[in-house]
Amino acid sequence: MEPVIGVSSQGIECTSLSCSAPIWQDILAQAVTGELLAAMNYTSLSEICDDPAEVADALEHAAGERGHAATFAAEGRKIGVEVANNVDAKHWKRLREAFLRCITERDFIGCLIVQEIMLESFAVASYARVGKVAPGGLGETFARIAAEEEEHVDHALAILRAERALDVQRFDDKVHRLHLEVMTTLAKMLAKECKDGHCEVCHGNCVKPSLFEVSLSAAELRGASLQQYLKTLDMLGLPGEVTLGWVTQLPV
Amino acid sequence: MGDSVTSVARRERTTDVDVDFALIGHQESWRAAADVLAVLRGPQHTPLPDDEIKDILPWIPPRAVCHVEIGSIGGTKARGLYIDSFIPPDRLEAAYVHENIARVRGAAAYAIKAGAKIVSLGGFSSILIEGNFDQLPERHDTVFTTGNTLTVGFIVQGIKKMCALEDRNLRRSTLLIVGATGDVGSGCARCLAPFVGRVLLSARNVERLRRLAAELEAHGVQVEIAIDLQRFSAEADLVICAASLASPSLLLGRITPHAIVCDAGYPKNLSPGAEMPDAKVFFGGLGQITGGMTFVPDFCGILNRHPFPDVVHGCLLEGMALALEARFEPFSQGRGFITPERVEEIEAIAARHGIYLAPFYNADDQWKTDLNARRNGREDECMGEGPSRTGFVDGWEDSGVASAGTVDPGERDR
Repeated sequence: MEPVIGVSSQGIECTSLSCSAPIWQDILAQAVTGELLAAMNYTSLSEICDDPAEVADALEHAAGERGHAATFAAEGRKIGVEVANNVDAKHWKRLREAFLRCITERDFIGCLIVQEIMLESFAVASYARVGKVAPGGLGETFARIAAEEEEHVDHALAILRAERALDVQRFDDKVHRLHLEVMTTLAKMLAKECKDGHCEVCHGNCVKPSLFEVSLSAAELRGASLQQYLKTLDMLGLPGEVTLGWVTQLPV
Repeated sequence: MGDSVTSVARRERTTDVDVDFALIGHQESWRAAADVLAVLRGPQHTPLPDDEIKDILPWIPPRAVCHVEIGSIGGTKARGLYIDSFIPPDRLEAAYVHENIARVRGAAAYAIKAGAKIVSLGGFSSILIEGNFDQLPERHDTVFTTGNTLTVGFIVQGIKKMCALEDRNLRRSTLLIVGATGDVGSGCARCLAPFVGRVLLSARNVERLRRLAAELEAHGVQVEIAIDLQRFSAEADLVICAASLASPSLLLGRITPHAIVCDAGYPKNLSPGAEMPDAKVFFGGLGQITGGMTFVPDFCGILNRHPFPDVVHGCLLEGMALALEARFEPFSQGRGFITPERVEEIEAIAARHGIYLAPFYNADDQWKTDLNARRNGREDECMGEGPSRTGFVDGWEDSGVASAGTVDPGERDR
């Protein structure tokens, strides 16, 4: 979803790929890692689904995410870089562990909240921002995949709204608990500086200080992601003043 | 950490059941924005660094920040929401107008979704939407008011009160209105013109100035207009600053010594660098709720950053007063429709519920004295401390008026 309020980047396109290829390499590495993690999550989700249709749906999503990862990797090759991935990198690993705890508890709704509300908010918003500034086919790919990820969210929202209607307090309690776990990790990933050391995905030094060279910034990606997250929680029906408090308490 | 789920559910029920009013606003400075975020973050978290605040705030979608409950001296209560449009304080200029309209629309949509019966548009919100109410989302049972009529009421009351305190003769005064063609400026002109000797109107649009001047002249008022403010500033002894400025940048130049200056802007109009050593400057358009006002979470003194308790801008108070009156109607809309009769009507409604002109103060906290606090009977609730300038306080005491601006309800009746 394109943020309703886009306030930072004006979408200045970088025309020279050779000079910025190492930056795109790291951006793509984060994207491929995220997609592979999502594929793993959906595969895990399929294992706790009882309904064959839900199993098929989860496996289809997993295949879709693997396809996205392959597409991003191919985009890297087109600009002459090999795109790495590392689902065991510290932040991504923590996100995976949070998801697996929901799996262990056979908590289907918890899984949807983590993957579709939290991780996909990050993916949709950041891909959309990258899609605006990345040159040519690279930008088109990010924009297209952002749109596809958004469709996932719409599908999950219908299920989650129905679940919330059954017991608002219990549902909101669950979202808050998962928020503290997952969004705290995501916020650290999205911080303007990696204060806890190397993220274990970038191929050299941290890419964040170089993002301005491709008309991006870590602050913009964080802002867009958290905005998307708040809007998604609004769509679920959570009180906006409460979710605002949650987000402002995240680490910076 | 954060809000308990019980409180989440409780608030949601409150929202579902009754939201009498909603107040749409934005912060006028980064300091104010930082304080709002600090409250939201809670005392257990370190405040965000300034650079992080400037990075984060522009991305926050419009939404409720807190619940507000107000009381009437008649015993009734009204509940509402404060909704912040999160317009960044340094993006009020024309270059951001489309973005800011989108934010106000978003805030309006939030108020409608919350089921607010009446919505007041604070600060630039009303300026952005003024004349474009058709741009608001489909409204169902929600009505919107700019709140400008009560703002005008409090500005006019303030000018009259200050003249009484300073022993000035209104009839012999020359009144300058900066931003005269705006809804508030023109409303002030209509209300005060019959009581002063001469009116000077200043604004950017000469055609609108001419129209307003003709309207006033038709009632026998002596009026002059000018786009160049400096031409007038040396001639006026009463000044109302009601321009829509993105930041406090107004310099009045060679202002008359001892002129009375009412800064009614939000953000404030007058530049901190404006040198008016002998002028009596006060912030106008403010009212005080004497029946009580509470915020959940507690934003007291954060959202209403005044050195006196329960002081609120008139534009927001209009919606509150109408909610207490259970008169859910778009009292103020459009530009140029504020008349003395309408001002009198909204003042009467406000007064019925204990909403009166606020005590006077300015950027130097010039009138925040113990006497003022005692007059309000809320000495222990006053926020912050500020030195009094004895010169002016003496002058005011010499005038024989017991209060520094808190209107005596008895006097109102007179």
